[in-house]
Amino acid sequence: METATASASFSDSSHRPGRLRRFSQLRQNLSGHRSRNSISNRVSWLSSSLPGRDSTVTQVGNSTAPCPDSDQPTLARYTSAPTSSSRALALDNQPSSTDSARSNSPNEPSRTSNVMARLRSSSAMQGRPPRTLGRTTTPDGPTTSPEPTAAAAAANDAPAEGISTPPVEMQEGEEEANKPKQKATIRFFPYQDTYQNSRPSLPFVPVARTLPSESCVIRVGRYSERDGIPIPNPAEPSDAPVGFKSKVVSRKHCEFMFVNGQWHVKDVGSSSGTFLNHMRLSQPNMTSRLYSIKDGDIVQLGIDFRGGEEMIFRCVRIRIECNRSWQQQPNEFNKNTESLIKNLGKGDTADYSGCRECSICLGSVLRPYQCLFMAACAHVWHYKCISRLLHSPDYPMFQCPNCRAFTDLSAEVDDTPEYETESKKAAAAKAGPAPEDETEGPSRSATQTPAEAPATNAAGESSEPQEQSEGRAEEGELVTDVENLHLREEQLAEADAESRGSDSPAPNGSNDDLARSATINIPGFQPTQPLNVPPGRSSHLRADTPVRSETSDDNPLTPRNDSGPLAFDGRAGMQ
Amino acid sequence: MGSQKRIAKELSELTASPPDGITVTLLDEANLYEWKVLMEGPEGSPYQGGIFQIRLVLPTEYPFKPPTVSFATKIYHPNVTNDDKGSMCLGMLRPDEWKPSSKIGAVLEFARQLLAEPMPDDAIEGRIAEQYKNDNKRYDEIAREWTRKHANKT
Repeated sequence: METATASASFSDSSHRPGRLRRFSQLRQNLSGHRSRNSISNRVSWLSSSLPGRDSTVTQVGNSTAPCPDSDQPTLARYTSAPTSSSRALALDNQPSSTDSARSNSPNEPSRTSNVMARLRSSSAMQGRPPRTLGRTTTPDGPTTSPEPTAAAAAANDAPAEGISTPPVEMQEGEEEANKPKQKATIRFFPYQDTYQNSRPSLPFVPVARTLPSESCVIRVGRYSERDGIPIPNPAEPSDAPVGFKSKVVSRKHCEFMFVNGQWHVKDVGSSSGTFLNHMRLSQPNMTSRLYSIKDGDIVQLGIDFRGGEEMIFRCVRIRIECNRSWQQQPNEFNKNTESLIKNLGKGDTADYSGCRECSICLGSVLRPYQCLFMAACAHVWHYKCISRLLHSPDYPMFQCPNCRAFTDLSAEVDDTPEYETESKKAAAAKAGPAPEDETEGPSRSATQTPAEAPATNAAGESSEPQEQSEGRAEEGELVTDVENLHLREEQLAEADAESRGSDSPAPNGSNDDLARSATINIPGFQPTQPLNVPPGRSSHLRADTPVRSETSDDNPLTPRNDSGPLAFDGRAGMQ
Repeated sequence: MGSQKRIAKELSELTASPPDGITVTLLDEANLYEWKVLMEGPEGSPYQGGIFQIRLVLPTEYPFKPPTVSFATKIYHPNVTNDDKGSMCLGMLRPDEWKPSSKIGAVLEFARQLLAEPMPDDAIEGRIAEQYKNDNKRYDEIAREWTRKHANKT
């Protein structure tokens, strides 16, 4: 039993077809000449945590306990995650779990490989602790549980789960109450360690993911043709695996998961290692515990082989961007900036005393007759001052010198023409706080980013309900669409009732919800893009990467947009 | 140079309202890029009572490149090199940590904070750091003595 569970995570190496065996040898070299069959004997911490020959699965899970994690107050909270994951690995030996796992991931290309199916089932299991959150917030969650039933049953009958789950639920309930809007979004940017003159790492297109539900796990590994064409920035929430075309990356290398409102990374038995800020997470072919990651962390996959001269042998350095969702939603800062910009050039009525300074020259910006640049984070500089950072070797990537947020300057601009008019109507109907004026249009185009701001707002708005709707993600497109469109912070109380009411797939009901949310929620200045979107299309709105708005292209107008004015005059809400 | 305007602005800000225990002047009135900073040892630290002269050099690419801070006065500190250069290791001055939006005032305040609380884990003088951690009393003594010897108000 012991060896079975221990080796489950790396069993791919033993099944490896002959063609790939050379690589496995190569990686063996990289990973310190570890003999495949004696892992559990050699690795002290694993074998010490498994004292008896008859040790059970739960003891594997307990092996996370001796990890140097005592400084983390949340240890108790998330030890349950490794526990369940290791149990999933044990489950892998049962054919039923692989089947159910495959059938339950409809949004991914179905892979026939045993290894991948096994990986998937384990990831589904790792998601279990967060899933309990979905249950607490949505009472009808269990009935529509999308989880593999075999895995769920196994998890439920295990005693450790019963013990570890209650605190998880409690703590997450608190977090849910504190920040109901947070969504699990993460972005990966290529990172070049320019300051230490190290070799270049593998270049790749920035990758963004928004989890469809908190239980999902983003698997990272070597790019494989079998995964189908990778989507770097899917328009909708996705936990599609992320592949890198480097041979120092294991096929199952590491995983990113969102546990207790915090992103974590975990090595899932890579041979050449996962490094978090230069610290290796686990020994070769060993699964690591969860390590929490924060914005700006550098995760490196593998180490250069043969000097990294060939692209295919270069390691991957990822700069993590997460926990920035607050920045991509309307907040005090960007609202303020927006109103300043609106008042730009209005002569005597404008008050420049409160205008911000350019952090480069320390002069004041947001005066008329100046060429400005505004980043997606709503920081503004003189174009002359910032241009040096714009036209850097890293172009099109731009890092805000104030807040270090990354932006892809080459991303498509989401300038849906309706936006302006719609927002004006919205403001007019709502008699919004910020009076609309003619200068809006010109000042926007002058400062480049306003088109992105709506995108961020739209994304923030449409994806924040994910938390509430998680766990039911696969319930049927209509229902999720409705939920995604109408759940709002101030509506939390009625959210459940409403969504239950709209569970019946009546198109009328969903339109009502659309309209209602429109009339209730949109503050005057805000973009009203969600309104343009008919129920079937709301998925596009859930784009997590407002700056890379590929969505705009395939988001054409449809007749339903005509209902926009109706929505705004208040009648729709009263139906 | 675009940087001159900013530096001039920062200088006037710092001279108009200097941070606690820090006095800023130009080393040479014609050169904005080299500053002479007088820093009082923070109270409660072994450097109390001493006045340390710091040379702050701004690169022409400032603020895109970080300034360098070095102690012209000898100081016994784990984060300051013990040679005639006296370069100081400040986290926020590392090229990959530096942000153009950081200001010199913040750098100097940070440096003074470092006098009050050395960061032995980030040390350049490993021996002093070792002593700071293991034999704090002795470190205190030497630092006090050096302060008396080198950083006397005269």
